[in-house]
Amino acid sequence: MATELDTNKSMSGLTEPEAKEFHTIFMTSFIIFVVIAIIAHILAWQWRPWLPGPNGYASLMDGVHYLLPTLA
Amino acid sequence: MWRMWLLFDPRRTLIALFTFLFGLALLIHFILLSTDRFNWLDGPHSAKAAQMSSMPAK
Repeated sequence: MATELDTNKSMSGLTEPEAKEFHTIFMTSFIIFVVIAIIAHILAWQWRPWLPGPNGYASLMDGVHYLLPTLA
Repeated sequence: MWRMWLLFDPRRTLIALFTFLFGLALLIHFILLSTDRFNWLDGPHSAKAAQMSSMPAK
């Protein structure tokens, strides 16, 4: 049984070197994906933050003071 | 961590992962398009919402 595991037969059919090789590629791709996602979220937050705060989104708008009397 | 690929077939795992991420991305984008604040194509729907959440250049 153990020899069978050592040679070729894992549950996925991969050998240990194959699994390690795939893991390096997978983790590299995953890290690149996460970095791109973080950059996209930073840009999206700069465009429009999505957590409004206690006074709503209007309190986030600097320079729109002429609207504030109508909102209050 | 690499031992997970002895358990899970990489081909099936990648197909499942890509399908899930694509579906999630599609869902999030459509939810954002349905809102007033985060619709990046048409902007807010109603005039009141436009007054509330857009910043018109004077």
